[in-house]
Amino acid sequence: MKKEEMVKLISAEGFEFVIDKKAAMVSQTIRNMLTSPGSFAETEHGEVTFPEISTTILEKICQYFYWSLQYASGKETEFHIEPELTLELMMAANYLHT
Amino acid sequence: MSGAKKRNFQIEAFKHRVVVDPKDAEKAWNILEHAIHEIYNYNARGFVFEDLYRTAYYMVYHRFGEKLYSGLVSTMTSHQKEIAKSIEAVQGAMFLEELNRNWTEHNTALRMIRDILMYMDRTFIPSTHKTRIHELGLNLWRDNIIHSSKIQTRLQDTLLELVQSERSGDVINRGLTRNITKMLMDLGPSVYEEIFEKPFLDVSSDFYRVESQQVIEHCDCGDYLKKAEERLNEEIERVSHYLDARSEAKITRVVEKEMIESHMHRLVHMENSGLVSMIMDEKFEDLGRMYNLLLRVPSGLTIMKDVMISHIRETGKDLVTDPERLKDPINFVQELLDKKDRLDKIINLAFNDDKDFQNALSSSFEYFINLNPRSPEFISLFVDDKLRNGLKKDKEEEIELVLDKVTMLFRYLEEKDLFEKYYQQHLAKRLLSGKTSSDAERSFIVKLKTECAYQFTSKLEGM
Repeated sequence: MKKEEMVKLISAEGFEFVIDKKAAMVSQTIRNMLTSPGSFAETEHGEVTFPEISTTILEKICQYFYWSLQYASGKETEFHIEPELTLELMMAANYLHT
Repeated sequence: MSGAKKRNFQIEAFKHRVVVDPKDAEKAWNILEHAIHEIYNYNARGFVFEDLYRTAYYMVYHRFGEKLYSGLVSTMTSHQKEIAKSIEAVQGAMFLEELNRNWTEHNTALRMIRDILMYMDRTFIPSTHKTRIHELGLNLWRDNIIHSSKIQTRLQDTLLELVQSERSGDVINRGLTRNITKMLMDLGPSVYEEIFEKPFLDVSSDFYRVESQQVIEHCDCGDYLKKAEERLNEEIERVSHYLDARSEAKITRVVEKEMIESHMHRLVHMENSGLVSMIMDEKFEDLGRMYNLLLRVPSGLTIMKDVMISHIRETGKDLVTDPERLKDPINFVQELLDKKDRLDKIINLAFNDDKDFQNALSSSFEYFINLNPRSPEFISLFVDDKLRNGLKKDKEEEIELVLDKVTMLFRYLEEKDLFEKYYQQHLAKRLLSGKTSSDAERSFIVKLKTECAYQFTSKLEGM
């Protein structure tokens, strides 16, 4: 688990999710954030704070990232979404361009 | 910096779609404007991307996209006007460097801005059919910097000066020049053409017109062609190093026109150094060069062919009507064969076996061989001599080779019947005296057969 390949996503409540950069970059927004020229705070510290995204949603999103990578490499499983999360999840997905 | 901003409307939860107070939108815009400003000044260290992204997101989400977009346009424009002023103020040689540096920095800044405003770029802009941020940045650059009257002329002049000094032999900064031409290409091919390519071609045209005039006064044909080839290669190399690839065809056309096409008549016909003397002196390299250069221009090769044809006809005619030579038929034919060999070699080595030239050669030979009515008889005598005596001196393959070449001469004869008559006589004498080999005889007849109809040779075969 090399440090350079991981990135930390922090939810509104302060929970920290450490995931692979590769997974995080499924989100176009996060990808831009991490690859943008210029030294933004996120690239310097390798962590991104989302004060608007709750922990539950952020957790689900991280699961989605990994599922997406698996799906891309051939494993065609289903991604289950609990109905009560749908709206918030969609908004977050829009925000993160995923 | 990032901690000092207000967070009023951002605390609202996602779920509630509240109508946002325009004052808050104003605050949001100020934050972003400040950020853009700092980005242009290379002070963007430590900004939190997510904050800025979210601010822009909210502006667009709450229907203030228009405000954001127009704010962006005016901020970028004013920054670029400042940049333009600073570039204009630069003295002398640093001009291109400054332009280049600002361009690179601009691209970086543009990318950062686009990343922050990505939400607007992918939702608001396409739906309102506005120009996307990247293209917007390029267009503003083009309008404010390149089309600024002071900068445009200076840029054009500087680039043309660089090319000129390189043509005179100086070393220039190719990397820097390449960045600048690439910048023009990025702004749009029409920008490249208008600002650089067209004036470049015009200036080059003048340059080569003058140079070709000077060179042709002082050099002979071979040297002139060398110089032309050098310049051509130089231009091609220039394009590959710091111009856009599409310019190659255009500039080579200019060189071809001014250096080659305008002077080709004079060159080919030049006394003591033109095509005729090259042929006589067997200057293969010069001939090859002339061929390759004239190949590039319309009707260049036609001139060469015509000169070659008239040369062969003249010299051939001298050969067959010279009374001294006519006394020795064997030698006469040998000289014909030698002449053909020499010319074949030239066509093979220098003219790339060009079919047109081969045909021209054949037709010229046809012309002068038949000027002498005794040619058929002489050729038959030559064959007679070879078959009688040759086997003692030369090997079989060599005889084969010679007879092959004689067959070529036979092809040029008009009076083939006359040849048959003589050949019959000589063949009869050979067979009676036993001084020949039937293999060689048969093989020669086969060669003749492939040249003409069966009936022609049937009598001979019978013998």
